[in-house]
Amino acid sequence: MNMKKTSSDSRFIQYLDERIRLRSLLGFLLEEPMPGGARWAYVFGSMVLFTLVLQFVTGVMLAFYYGGTPDHAWDSVNYIDHLRYGNLDVGRLIRGFHYWGASIMVVLVGVHLLQVFLWGAYKRPREIMWLVGVILLALTMTAAFTGYLLPWDERAYWGTIVGTNMIGLVPVVGPLLKSAIRGGTGLGALTLSHFFAIHTMMLPSLFILFVVFHLVIFRRVGPAGPFRGTSATLEARKEYFYPRQVLMDALAMLTVFVLIAGLSVVFPPGLEATANPANSSYSPTPAWYFDWIFELLKMIRPEILGVIGLPAIIALVLVMLPFVDKNIERSPFRRPVSVLSTLLVLGSILGLSIAAEAGFKKLVPLDLASVKRGKIVFEHSGCMGCHMVMGKGGHIGPDLSEEGLIGHSEHWLEVQFINSSSHFPGSPMPPFTFLSPEQRRDLAQYVSSLGRTGWPDTTR
Amino acid sequence: MRQEVVFRMGIPVQNASGQAIGTLEKLVFLETEKKITEIVVRDFSSLKRVPLVWIRELTEHVLVLDHPGTLEDLPVFDISQFEEVPTWFYPPGYRIELGSLLTLKPCDERFLGESEAMSRRDFMAKSTGLVATLIGISLVVPIGGYVLAAAKTKLSDHWITLSIRLDQLPVDEPVSHTFNAVSVSGWMRVPVVRTVWLIRHSGTTDPLSVSEDQILGLDSPLEKSRSSPLLTVLSPICPHLGCSPQWFSGKKLFICPCHHSIYEMNGKRIGGPAPRPMDQLPVQIEKDGAISILYEEFQVGIPQKIRLS
Ligand code: FES
Repeated sequence: MNMKKTSSDSRFIQYLDERIRLRSLLGFLLEEPMPGGARWAYVFGSMVLFTLVLQFVTGVMLAFYYGGTPDHAWDSVNYIDHLRYGNLDVGRLIRGFHYWGASIMVVLVGVHLLQVFLWGAYKRPREIMWLVGVILLALTMTAAFTGYLLPWDERAYWGTIVGTNMIGLVPVVGPLLKSAIRGGTGLGALTLSHFFAIHTMMLPSLFILFVVFHLVIFRRVGPAGPFRGTSATLEARKEYFYPRQVLMDALAMLTVFVLIAGLSVVFPPGLEATANPANSSYSPTPAWYFDWIFELLKMIRPEILGVIGLPAIIALVLVMLPFVDKNIERSPFRRPVSVLSTLLVLGSILGLSIAAEAGFKKLVPLDLASVKRGKIVFEHSGCMGCHMVMGKGGHIGPDLSEEGLIGHSEHWLEVQFINSSSHFPGSPMPPFTFLSPEQRRDLAQYVSSLGRTGWPDTTR
Repeated sequence: MRQEVVFRMGIPVQNASGQAIGTLEKLVFLETEKKITEIVVRDFSSLKRVPLVWIRELTEHVLVLDHPGTLEDLPVFDISQFEEVPTWFYPPGYRIELGSLLTLKPCDERFLGESEAMSRRDFMAKSTGLVATLIGISLVVPIGGYVLAAAKTKLSDHWITLSIRLDQLPVDEPVSHTFNAVSVSGWMRVPVVRTVWLIRHSGTTDPLSVSEDQILGLDSPLEKSRSSPLLTVLSPICPHLGCSPQWFSGKKLFICPCHHSIYEMNGKRIGGPAPRPMDQLPVQIEKDGAISILYEEFQVGIPQKIRLS
């Protein structure tokens, strides 16, 4: 079963084989027998592993330029966003990889878990492997939660305020836990360094430890194989992990990579205005994968039941599943109760997420060319006589630096320009009726962009 | 704890009636279930596959089957279809001699034969390598650019208008002028206090109005084009090893306290270890006498005037 020694092996391979027993090492890693042969259904674990490695690599890259204190974090992320090499927006690209890599990783972890569940692959003797997988799921969610704060923009700050408040709802230990995570009662410098340390030091070490554990167990008990077919037929069709499954996995990884790269180019991650604890009008939104918990917070009273209760039940079910479910039947078609209840939970998570997204204030979608024209209109029509934007302008009207985050519609803004008193009776703002309809639209676009984009390039 | 099952190869195999019908040769392992399912018995003509459940009794010296007759009707064991099981797969609870546990080969090897299976695997391995290279390159290129991006960033020249005007300066008497500037490192902007020497000259005919750097032609095009016969601006950094030369009005000389490099008023070195004159900085004088300078730093310890970017 060892790698066959062939005459084509290079001198280098022979050298290594003598010193580190390369062939038998490779044999251990690659000659995994797969009952029933290689299948596309088995690629999800490798896809998750790939996104994890991508997160490691891009995360280290981001840390090259990141400054983990409240007075520098936002500046450093903005700096990264503007880093260019030749014509390549390298900074935004690397940050995009990390940002979209995180989302895709959460999706893939979910798909991997679902596949293992449907295949009944968590059953004896793979209970411990499943358990380690549940730990890896928890690490993934913790990484997502802690990474969200690091850019230190409005979204990060207010999202984390809500997130840590939820932890505070845990009975008995909650308040202590919350202030331990925050490093005090409020969100500040210590929260950021706590989150940074957890995100970049603790989690990667734990990830490596448990991924290795997961894989070693996998190598020892082997893959569960298809849920159909007798063991004799599966044995007759068995293949090694290498090379067909490896090739399938590699192609699946390539697909994930193309997807992440595409998303990073087409939808680069945004950066809102720097965290402003005084901005009481900001309505926080969580990362999409926490939407359902966010929605539960609104729906269920007392809050604690929805926020702590349901996730706790899900965690408990995930942990206990292989120890309680001792039925050796693996086919999902003969386990209707567990499969249907899982689909029900998934369906409600999906429903809650959609409801949450629908409930969020929609910000005006930006057309950057129009924003640029609007800026000129803003600067030449006397707006700055009364309004302050990023420290420049008058004091008579309200500061508009973060106006785009409030979520007024374009129509509301266009009415505001020509008839302010319809929104604010007695408003001293003069009617800007001399603006053409195009100018009004551009101006509305510009005002909607404030606090969301257009940050100064600090790289040159 | 369960008693360990010991298989010893070569022991005699007896049938139900106690006749010796062969010897124990190998064990067959079903990888799918991680179980031993068959034993291989060498009878007088060939190797035979016998189901494990047929074993009635197993000791270290003899193996007795439930089966009454000979093994003639059982399938023949074809060793070319099997291969050895690595030790890390050995099932717990058994003692098995090394090399005696066999399992079915993967299907491509059984169906295609070893050499064709190998070349097919080789093809798939190369395809995998291609995919990996593709991902690697498209990752390494942006990362390389990303790492180098900051290093390649050009410092933008930052002209600073000083708080002092030309007519406020004494003639032919160097003045150490302090001003506030910003030092930039990546996203960080740190306010710093800097000093330069300002030397006002009486006029264009004044021999001192030409700095030694100009005379020796050490200046860069920027420094050449931005100079004034009315004012010389000298860097406060000694070109020897970076101390700060001081002006002694009595001797009309700059003297560096560290290793006693001595310079004249236009920066000319007249003694000491310094490899070049004091460095002249670019300056611009407006009509109203306002002074703008560009603060530059240069490599110390070498005769050339090389700007640190
Ligand atoms: S540093 Fe000025 S003489 Fe050495």
